[in-house]
Amino acid sequence: MAAAGPDQDDHELLALIQDGNGQAFALLVERHTERFYRLAYRYLQNREAAEDVVQDAFLKLWENPALWQPERNSKFTTWFYRVVVNLCLDLRKKKKPAALDDDMPLIDERAPVDEIMIRAQEQRTLEKEIDALPERQRQALNLCFDEGLSNQEAAEIMGLNLKALQSLIMRAKTTLKERMKAYL
Amino acid sequence: MNDHRDDKLDDLLRSRRVEPASPDLAQRIIFKARRLPQTRTVSLWQWMRQLCAEFHLPKPAYLLASALILGMVIGFSLPSDPDSKAEDSTASVTGFLSTDEALL
Repeated sequence: MAAAGPDQDDHELLALIQDGNGQAFALLVERHTERFYRLAYRYLQNREAAEDVVQDAFLKLWENPALWQPERNSKFTTWFYRVVVNLCLDLRKKKKPAALDDDMPLIDERAPVDEIMIRAQEQRTLEKEIDALPERQRQALNLCFDEGLSNQEAAEIMGLNLKALQSLIMRAKTTLKERMKAYL
Repeated sequence: MNDHRDDKLDDLLRSRRVEPASPDLAQRIIFKARRLPQTRTVSLWQWMRQLCAEFHLPKPAYLLASALILGMVIGFSLPSDPDSKAEDSTASVTGFLSTDEALL
């Protein structure tokens, strides 16, 4: 069996995973866990739930590596974003996400107390308002403001063209601007 | 004013808080995967592709095979040559007459 190394790109690792190479799977997990966790967290606002989703997604890939079909998907991350988003949506349908804990340390504790409180409130309100957006708008926002994901990639993940995605983002931001008036 | 609000909202959206994941999340996933066997379920689409690949022939071969089959179908479906029928009946009449002559 060929050895997997950190120099190999995702597609090479996936080909090895399809041959049952555990080392390649470990490399892929280490490379992408953090990024997919962040995405899942933005959907679910709960650490345990987000970790479970990421774990499920990777284990599904390991158990059935034929799910990844390079001829049908341009990029692994684009395809896997879709997998993670679908799992998040399924979970959201099953149960309402936990509300943000008021005692949870939200921000840098070295900042002055007043500022901490204002920013914490600001963040809480923002999450609440994002959560109240229509599903597609929320999805567009989560994908586009996720680190390193271009609008084109986000559109591909959502199965939209670029203009439709931009329109969703614009509507989401208009709603948020209106509802977050007090903080802007 | 509106631009300022747009910028502020963008900043807020970019700085959305994400609670850090457990430091051992990746290791946990890798460890769990080690205990799971890999299954190789093949979807209907993949199965069809594999099946087609088994019978894959280069294009000239397809063309030759199609021409042969078409030729055979046309050949069998056409009625036999009417001239050869006429020849057959002439031969049998001549044979009959010559038999008669032999008797005389």
